[in-house]
Amino acid sequence: MILEVQNLHKIYKNGIHALKGVSFGVNEGEFLVIIGLSGSGKSTLLRCINRLIEPTSGKVIFLGKDITHIKGEELRKVKTQIGMVFQQFNLIRRRSVITNVITGRLGSLGTFDSLLEKFSEEVYNDANKALETVGIGEKAKERADSLSGGQQQRVAIARSLMQNPKLLLADEPVASLDPATSNSVMQYFEKINKELGTTVICNLHFLSLVRRYASRVIALKAGEIIYEGIPDEIDKNWFKTIYGEEAEEVEIR
Amino acid sequence: MKQNPILDSHPQRIIAKNKEREAKYNLVKAILLDIFFVFYTIIAVQRAIYYKFILDLRELPFSWGEIGIIFIISVIIGTTWALTKTSLSCKLFGVAKDNKVTRWTVEIFGWVLFNVTFIAGWVVTKLSLVDLFSAEGIEGAQRIFGALFQPEMGIFDDALFAIIETIYIALLATLISIPPTLILSFFTARNLMRDNKISFAVYYILRIVLNFVRSIEPLIWAIIFSVWVGIGPYAGMIALLVHTIASNAKLYSEAIENIEEGPVEAISATGANKIQIVWYAVVPQIMLPFLSFTIYRWDINVRMATVIGLVGGGGIGTMLMQYQGLARWHEVGLIVLMIAFVVWVMDYISAKIREAIY
Repeated sequence: MILEVQNLHKIYKNGIHALKGVSFGVNEGEFLVIIGLSGSGKSTLLRCINRLIEPTSGKVIFLGKDITHIKGEELRKVKTQIGMVFQQFNLIRRRSVITNVITGRLGSLGTFDSLLEKFSEEVYNDANKALETVGIGEKAKERADSLSGGQQQRVAIARSLMQNPKLLLADEPVASLDPATSNSVMQYFEKINKELGTTVICNLHFLSLVRRYASRVIALKAGEIIYEGIPDEIDKNWFKTIYGEEAEEVEIR
Repeated sequence: MKQNPILDSHPQRIIAKNKEREAKYNLVKAILLDIFFVFYTIIAVQRAIYYKFILDLRELPFSWGEIGIIFIISVIIGTTWALTKTSLSCKLFGVAKDNKVTRWTVEIFGWVLFNVTFIAGWVVTKLSLVDLFSAEGIEGAQRIFGALFQPEMGIFDDALFAIIETIYIALLATLISIPPTLILSFFTARNLMRDNKISFAVYYILRIVLNFVRSIEPLIWAIIFSVWVGIGPYAGMIALLVHTIASNAKLYSEAIENIEEGPVEAISATGANKIQIVWYAVVPQIMLPFLSFTIYRWDINVRMATVIGLVGGGGIGTMLMQYQGLARWHEVGLIVLMIAFVVWVMDYISAKIREAIY
């Protein structure tokens, strides 16, 4: 098992109880999708796994090691092994695509060299290869904010590939993209999962995408896991439980 | 799934407790503010309106005993009033009862407060249309305006050197301020310093020091430094430098606080260290605002440098003060025109540059 989450709680300072005892495990090579309404705790859960947010109680075990309370250098070493892709891409807008991709390697580069932006031939080669993997090798020299939404998200995926991650977290990676672009971006996650064998945990909204890409599904509601299983078993009744009585399923292809 | 009962009740309890505490604090604040309002009203009516305006006394009588009695009276009235929860301050802090009495007291007392302040202000500033438009006054105005519009060109070369000195004072103060301001701004940005207790303490202390330095006008700094390093352009430059660092550090750090958090989150998720995060996720976002603030500050500093000259900070201001002391209004006229021209040009140039870089 690559990741194990045990009885995880998160209470924010304003009193919101975002996670209420979440427990699950992820096997190597899985494509796990987490679904649920906005505010159900999906984003909090992902950020607790790579410690962008400190969980209030519970345990996160990554590669057999308890990482819930590690700090400093040790925490940074763990973070280098977990890639993350965000809904808003979170690129450095004014810098070139290639620089953005290289930032994925910062964790294993020296502070002084990275301040001078002196990178080795190998780093550049890896960055170009990562861009090839997501199909935008020719955009390397362009400014990040001149790219379209879908292209920016592919740069963000390339950035996470620079980490050679064991685990890739994706927080609603296609929620700000149009349907056609959504599918193409999801295909890159599938490719990374199948070809590189990287374990993927992905938050998604659309059930049609879930059915197409997920190998397993977890549904969160108000901070608790209410469903765990394979995507095909989510029928109409489960859908209503997860998304509420008034919800109607929409297709996205 | 196992539920933890203590954790479950936790948040609600905290929220309820916070609300209670807030209401209590607000009532205390309301009492204090009401005491102040009553005290202020009595003092303003008694001293400004009664003594000065109605009795037209030159020397105001002053005794601590009297002030003390007024203060005690205000404490009694203010406290009682606030505790009925119908006072102005209760309304301001949101702890007032919602009834007719509250509305009436708020309206009447608000009206009284405004008028007392306005009348007292009128009396204190000795506002007098008679002085402005008396025959004597008009004659003086004619004399000075006549001189100002007939500038004495004989001192043009001296004035030119003086104004160039002023521009250099401003430029050097701005340039030297950049490195210390940059460093300080990172240490006074809340979002970079809140992570642990030590860095937060540094943040807090630096903020207090900078606020203090900034609250002292460059004019006062010039007086201090003219005693310290001697009268002249050097004193003026240091005075401007100190104030520029303090005010720009505030502007810079606010720019840092307003950056998008997304890139910071993304870079820190890759396992980058703190310095790398700042260099890659923060610095690119603040370059333009920093440049813009600095250019604008140069423009401000040119204006300030002329004023600082008045207290011995060198440059055109010092020259202006000398001729004003000799009542040579034609020379003063030339200097004023030159200052106006340079300030206008600087203003225009800095606006153009700032437009161009955005």
